[in-house]
Amino acid sequence: MLPFTYALRNLFRDLSRLAQTVGGSALVVLLLIASVALNQGMDSVLSASGSAKNVILVGKGSEESIERSEVHLDAESSVITSIRGLEEQLGTPAVSGEITYQAPIRTASGKEDQALLRGVLEKALLVHRSVRLLEGHFPAPGEVMVGKLAHRNLGVDASELALGQRIYFENEALNVSGIFTAPGTVLESEIWFDRNDLASLTQRDTLSAITLRMDNAEFDDVHVFTLQRNDLELAAIREDVYYSKLGAFYQPIKVMIWVTAALVSAGAIFGGLNTLYAAFASRIREMATLQSIGYTRGALLVSLIQESLLATLTGTLLAFLIAYFLLDGRTVPFSVGTFTLILTPQVILTGLAAGILLGTIGTLPPAIRCLSPSLPKALRSS
Amino acid sequence: MAFISIRSLTKSYTKGKTSVTPLENLSLDVPQGEFLALMGPSGSGKTTLLNLIAGIDTPSSGQLEINGRNIADLSQRQLTQWRATHVGYIFQLYHLVPVLSAYENIELPLLLGKLTKAERRMKIQAALDLVDLSDRAHHRPAELSGGQEQRVAIARAIVHHPELLVADEPTGDLDRDSADSILTLLQQLATEHGKTIVMVTHDPKAAQAAHRTLHLEKGQLINNPRQ
Repeated sequence: MLPFTYALRNLFRDLSRLAQTVGGSALVVLLLIASVALNQGMDSVLSASGSAKNVILVGKGSEESIERSEVHLDAESSVITSIRGLEEQLGTPAVSGEITYQAPIRTASGKEDQALLRGVLEKALLVHRSVRLLEGHFPAPGEVMVGKLAHRNLGVDASELALGQRIYFENEALNVSGIFTAPGTVLESEIWFDRNDLASLTQRDTLSAITLRMDNAEFDDVHVFTLQRNDLELAAIREDVYYSKLGAFYQPIKVMIWVTAALVSAGAIFGGLNTLYAAFASRIREMATLQSIGYTRGALLVSLIQESLLATLTGTLLAFLIAYFLLDGRTVPFSVGTFTLILTPQVILTGLAAGILLGTIGTLPPAIRCLSPSLPKALRSS
Repeated sequence: MAFISIRSLTKSYTKGKTSVTPLENLSLDVPQGEFLALMGPSGSGKTTLLNLIAGIDTPSSGQLEINGRNIADLSQRQLTQWRATHVGYIFQLYHLVPVLSAYENIELPLLLGKLTKAERRMKIQAALDLVDLSDRAHHRPAELSGGQEQRVAIARAIVHHPELLVADEPTGDLDRDSADSILTLLQQLATEHGKTIVMVTHDPKAAQAAHRTLHLEKGQLINNPRQ
């Protein structure tokens, strides 16, 4: 085997080539880990938002979108009286009729953007178990409670949605009475209204959906209820299934993320390969000299791979540092909520694997080309 | 018995659609410790013969025995191992590894064996002393003159004590003084250390330093006189 110092020193033969290789691999790895983190973040926020114990009752035909759904107000009491085995707390069944709405909200600074609004009563906390009030209180009429990440959806500073601040909806001013968290779920990006407030502000006399939490009841019990009470025109869908279908809705976006990452990476990989071809081509005679001394082609290939790995792993490390400072913990808003980019072990392993593959498989074509000429011919090359 | 024994050696290959035969039916004996010079015009087959003797290339037919072993029958892998032990190659343009110091360049053949670091250091120091470059051990090739580079290349070629040294125009890129000192060194290696040396040269003065000079033309030896 050739000494490791040979591979190490070869790295610094041409600093511009080294910069290209390190920069190219950093770009590829960064894009890859960003793509994985984006997709993972989106998947995890959607999967965490749904509970297998919760069932959503929506208007028949609106199973794909709660916002389009309309459910009669009376349906809520019918659910409570007809379905046995629902969770209860201090005699209150975990059934929450809610209005879900997407509309522009204006903050005190005058900035207006689309927000996810949910009209609820206090019993909503019985079904949305991840929700925790961080400060303030549940909204009374004329008040709203905002999710910790709602400001990201509105594109404003968190201070504009702080306790005591005012927001404007349909020319009505509403006080922020509470800040809540619902870690890792889409709820954390929502603004919760008093249900009656939202009903009157949006001039609707129906609910969007009823969410209920099962104890010893089963989904089939709820489904049978929807069939028996055909007059209410309801459809039941498990909450986790609803959010997983929502995830499928975002599949084309995920594909676009991968395609974009793949296209930019392909450019960087071809650029990197070109650099390696040029770097190795100028060393054909040196490789031949080492073979004439007695080093096998295999030993030389290992040394070339070591050299490339040093460069690509440096790039990988650079990508991790950039990702750590620029991506990790950053929240990304999307239409139904906000998710956080996290450098999970899986994301880090994916980046590391990419760096190793770039340094090994990516090195093979130029290395083989450099080592393949016959020895007499290679010794004559300039 | 000759150290190098060549019988009916032919090397041919195809270039495009043409068949080229740089060496044809060549026979030659070189005794151990001889310093042999090969001369001839460009394309006469000198370097091809040198590469065959060094195990860099393989013949198309014929017998090529070095120290009693027919290297024509060896596989590429066996040839590589054989070169590592038995041959030292000296190139016209030195072919030193630019990122390694003189010491590290000389160490390269030794890293193929199982010597300890201390044993390697001893051998490298001896080789450096022989080529009179001990004070330049930690200089990189770019920091050495052409003559010094060639001395390092010679030290690298002899450090593992091969019986055979092959040199392809070793003085072709040097000024007269440096060339003379390299030739003196090669003479010393043959006479005092018993190395068998085959040198290709265009320079009649370099050839004069050898014990014997052979002339090749169109792949054939045109005379074989002992000088």
